[in-house]
Amino acid sequence: MDQSKTVYENNQAINERVPTGIAGLDEILQGGLVARRAYLLRGNPGNGKTTVGLHFLTTGAACGEQTLFITMGETEGQIRHNAASLGFDLSDVKFLDLAPSPDFFSQMQSYDIFSPADVERDPTTERITTEVERLKPTRVFVDAMTQFRYLSSDDFQFRRQVHSFLRFLVDNGATVIFSSEASPAQPDDDLQYMSDGIIVLENDTNTRTISVTKFRGSDFISGKHSMRLSNRGMEVFPRLLPISEIRQEFASELIPSGIPEFDELTHGGLERGTITIITGPTGVGKTTVGMQFMKEAAGRGERSVIYTFEEWSQMLIRRSQSIGIPVESMVNRGILSVVQVEPLRYTPDEFARMVRKDVEENGAAIVMIDSISGYRLSVRGEELVRHLHALCKYLQGKGVAVVLINEIEDVVGQFRVSDIGISYIADTIIFLRYLELRGELRRAIGVLKKRLSDFQKTMREYEITRYGLKVGKPLNELRGILTGIPEWDETGDRR
Amino acid sequence: MGIKPRILTIDRNQRNLELLNQFLGKEGYETLPMTTLSDLAKILEHPEKLGLALVDISGFDRSIWEYCEQLSNKGIPLLVVAPQQLANIRQEGLSHGADGVLFKPLVVKELMSLIRSLIREDSNE
Repeated sequence: MDQSKTVYENNQAINERVPTGIAGLDEILQGGLVARRAYLLRGNPGNGKTTVGLHFLTTGAACGEQTLFITMGETEGQIRHNAASLGFDLSDVKFLDLAPSPDFFSQMQSYDIFSPADVERDPTTERITTEVERLKPTRVFVDAMTQFRYLSSDDFQFRRQVHSFLRFLVDNGATVIFSSEASPAQPDDDLQYMSDGIIVLENDTNTRTISVTKFRGSDFISGKHSMRLSNRGMEVFPRLLPISEIRQEFASELIPSGIPEFDELTHGGLERGTITIITGPTGVGKTTVGMQFMKEAAGRGERSVIYTFEEWSQMLIRRSQSIGIPVESMVNRGILSVVQVEPLRYTPDEFARMVRKDVEENGAAIVMIDSISGYRLSVRGEELVRHLHALCKYLQGKGVAVVLINEIEDVVGQFRVSDIGISYIADTIIFLRYLELRGELRRAIGVLKKRLSDFQKTMREYEITRYGLKVGKPLNELRGILTGIPEWDETGDRR
Repeated sequence: MGIKPRILTIDRNQRNLELLNQFLGKEGYETLPMTTLSDLAKILEHPEKLGLALVDISGFDRSIWEYCEQLSNKGIPLLVVAPQQLANIRQEGLSHGADGVLFKPLVVKELMSLIRSLIREDSNE
């Protein structure tokens, strides 16, 4: 019976979460840190360790909790000054400043007769003990724990000291985050074993990431998540996890293009909750074809969003306007959003969060990403397919018809669906081609794949006029269209 | 047990001297701290009450060895503290009458056991 009680109490304890104050991080941690445990915060200089600590402490202080910042490097004054410039209110946060005072530098204070471990340990321990017992803080941030290493005569002593120090804090009711300054010469492996959880801050090739590598007693979203340090502190953008999303019930109805000939090709249009790739060479009209669906959706009062990575939104609006798609009035009616995305500014996780926020708050029938190559820029070397997959599957789960614009580099020549290897993701592939016909450049549209329904296997010629997209009759009499230089089919020449 | 004999401590660095005396004080020894050779010269005139001398040679010139010899000649056990681990310093210290040469930073246990053995030996005589 006693045993079941402890299990129950443990469950209670695990359910009690301490939010870090960084929304995205709390999401990754599934609600926050488990209360009364000690967490290791790792990261190189400048990766935001202190910022995490400031969020953690001020969040507690704002709720009237007693919070304590134990600093062993930066002075209290410096930290307060920097925090103020980031907009943190540290007025209720208590400090224990164990940083060396300036007179330490002068002859009088420096010593070499004993090792620092023998000289400083006792007074330091005493100050910490007194302060913790006086304040009984519920949140403690120690910056940086590795400094204690110099107060220990050997590794064994250090381990024991850190262990008992953390126990002491936790037993006094605190949830602890302690940072570490690890270097190849002085790894912090021992600290990693001692902690109840590990949060890692990294900065590789200009992309800041945060990841949780250990979290005792709780699930968490694994992997690296984008993070941004700005003058408002830290923002975390958790990775999208399509699997964890509850698949919403949505009507598997069709979104037609509004052009009868085109809809014949697709047997009615695009289904909700599917992914369509519109592929073709430059200037062939991929964006226009995608917009055609949005125009039709807008006619029925449904909202669409275009994320344009390549074109200025003003240009896109003007261009669409000139070919009979009233983008301007659609935007004014709030039924279309044209979001211009500067690819180099966002990481895939940040972009995903932006899309997600918009879809969840405003709803959308069609989301178009123009184009995959632009999106690829923002991925910058990370796995393009994985990020795109996650984003598309998420949108799919929300019942959105996703349109991806894919540019093929060759204008004519051997037909390829995509240069990137993402065609597996698509439920529907619509391709656009240039044709050379009697020395004239013409265009053809066709459907290559459609998972949810049958489709017309022949291609059709189309034109983009100032009245919009005009799709012609099936090109039955041509063969070799996919090579880009078709020939008249001898058996069926009707011209 | 009687009163523990006094320990002469000499160090150019004030903070070092403070720490050393603090430490010895905690162990129950009375100390006679000084930072200059002239103070040391004065003491050498009446060395009766000294149980041990602890000399940190860093910062002094070679004349410190003469004083070491004098202390040793007066029968005062002598521990020399040297800044770095150099073989010839150990030799030189021992040749000038030191009973032991220690290198900084001092290891507390080692220091204590040396002091105890030197003082006990002395009092047994």
